[in-house]
Amino acid sequence: MSSNPSKPHGLLAEFHTAADIFEAAIRCRDAGFTKWDVHTPFPIHGMDEAMGLRKSPVGWFTFCGGFTGFFTGMTMIWYMNKFDYPLVVGGKPLFTPLFAFPVSYEMTILLSAFGTLFGMFFLNRLPKFHNPLFKNERFKKSTDDRFFICIESADPKFGLEATRAFLTEKCHAAVVELVED
Amino acid sequence: MNPFSRPTQSWRPVIAVMAIAGLALLPAMGADAGHAAHDTAHAAAAHATASHGSDHGHAAVSAFSLKQIAHSYLTAYMFCLSLCVGSLFLTLAHHLFDAGWSASIRRVTETLASLLFPWMLILALPIIGFAWTGNLHAWFKIDPATDHALDVKKVLFNPAAFTVMVPVLLTLLGLMARNIRAWSIAQDKDGAAHWTTKSRKLAAGGIFFFAIGTTLLCFLLMKSLQHQFFSTMYGVYYFAGSVWTTLITLYLLTMWLAQPGRPLEKVYFKRQQQDLGVLFFAFTVFYAYIHFSQYFLIWNAAIPEETFWYVLREVGSWKWVGMTILFGHFFVPFLLLLNQDIKRNLSVMIPVGAWAWLMHYIDMTYNIMPVIHPDGLHLTLWDPIFWIGLSVLLARLFWSEYRKNPPYPQKDPRLQEAIVHHEVPAPGASAAH
Repeated sequence: MSSNPSKPHGLLAEFHTAADIFEAAIRCRDAGFTKWDVHTPFPIHGMDEAMGLRKSPVGWFTFCGGFTGFFTGMTMIWYMNKFDYPLVVGGKPLFTPLFAFPVSYEMTILLSAFGTLFGMFFLNRLPKFHNPLFKNERFKKSTDDRFFICIESADPKFGLEATRAFLTEKCHAAVVELVED
Repeated sequence: MNPFSRPTQSWRPVIAVMAIAGLALLPAMGADAGHAAHDTAHAAAAHATASHGSDHGHAAVSAFSLKQIAHSYLTAYMFCLSLCVGSLFLTLAHHLFDAGWSASIRRVTETLASLLFPWMLILALPIIGFAWTGNLHAWFKIDPATDHALDVKKVLFNPAAFTVMVPVLLTLLGLMARNIRAWSIAQDKDGAAHWTTKSRKLAAGGIFFFAIGTTLLCFLLMKSLQHQFFSTMYGVYYFAGSVWTTLITLYLLTMWLAQPGRPLEKVYFKRQQQDLGVLFFAFTVFYAYIHFSQYFLIWNAAIPEETFWYVLREVGSWKWVGMTILFGHFFVPFLLLLNQDIKRNLSVMIPVGAWAWLMHYIDMTYNIMPVIHPDGLHLTLWDPIFWIGLSVLLARLFWSEYRKNPPYPQKDPRLQEAIVHHEVPAPGASAAH
């Protein structure tokens, strides 16, 4: 479907151990690549730092969601019980944060969760239905026993031959080229 | 190199024992004083239930009465008991979950928990003395036949049961802690895995006993000061506050022990610090959840027999103490610790630690003191004396016990997991360039 069928998507480097890819990630980070990612069958402690990742901003979406949820709950109950349809229940005040709290609290959790999920989707530009990585047969082993680094051609420091040489010589990886399709 | 370089000073515990013995004898010397102000709590509760009475004034207790001393002592004792009980829970939890990360700091919780026996038991003796002389629990001097609330609870709330159960519970909890600690120390020598298995088995049964034992202890020692109470969640309430306080204490203590040249230097990393911070944050929420639930259920049902406990605590300045707990015990630490990185920021965490100790002490005060000061918060010199005195005593006992043995489990099978540390070179410092 692409206008240029031979346009490279990036280079895929394959590693056999977690230690190898950990070292390689540090090298990639220090080489100044920005559009690259690590794919491993399980989480590797310290990988965030090795990749030089900043703290995820998803927390801010969570916080905004929770904040909105809490005040939505409070406002909703105030509006319904005190303003729109005042109704005395069990001799209690028409509004107090006390009985509004359980609802506000649940709303906080619900909207925090929405904030987290959709914030993550937004930041990752999801949903995305295709990635050239999926076409690579070897990449399927990233859920089993292989470790992969993918450096995309969109990276400003990317050069097909230079990056291939970097990955094979400095990182000692088996490298294959990925193409857009 | 021995990380504990100073020699043991064995005379200090002797002075401590003498001081406690003196305190234990104090109630006996002034036994008559107890009868004079008969049944303050009961009277105050009755007032609060019948009408939102305005004549609480007569129930005030003078600063030098044994009642005041007894309640100040109990407040400080419950604060210290929190640290031991919380440490026991963390030790049990470590074994139950077969945890890795906490292996390197476990000796600290093991040691704190093992102070339950004999030290917390010895420190509880003055409380039993105060209770018998009518200076603490009103029901020691009330005939159950004249008091329905007591009559239905007399199985638990009678002088004999109190006198037997408090020491027995402290002893059993303490022996459980000492056993786990002894096995851990034995493992330091031979490294055999069966010590860990034994601890895990004890923890599996022990956690149930811990839950029942801690609940009974805080009902007997604290909640039953107003035996008309209704609460099914007071045990977990005390537990939540206790573990909360213990976690921040552990955070600061292990941080201090991990400074260069100190014993935990090589086994304590960012991971332990972060995890303790996260757990402290979690218990901030858990405590608030539990305390709110207790309050909300009583408030929502609005049955006078149940509400009196909180109605009393909305009189005078007690209302503001309650607000301090709501905001200071929950909102301030909650909002402050929301950020991930704050949990490793010592310039925030050290003040938060001091604040948490204060909040937990205020929480204990809020539970105990309205009994003798129904008009509002009334601090006396005894409060800081006992709070600081017992805390310092506990710290010294901890330190003298802690330094006797290796500072962390030397050959724990999980230790390696705790101390695996990924040294990631900063950008630009790697060998790539």
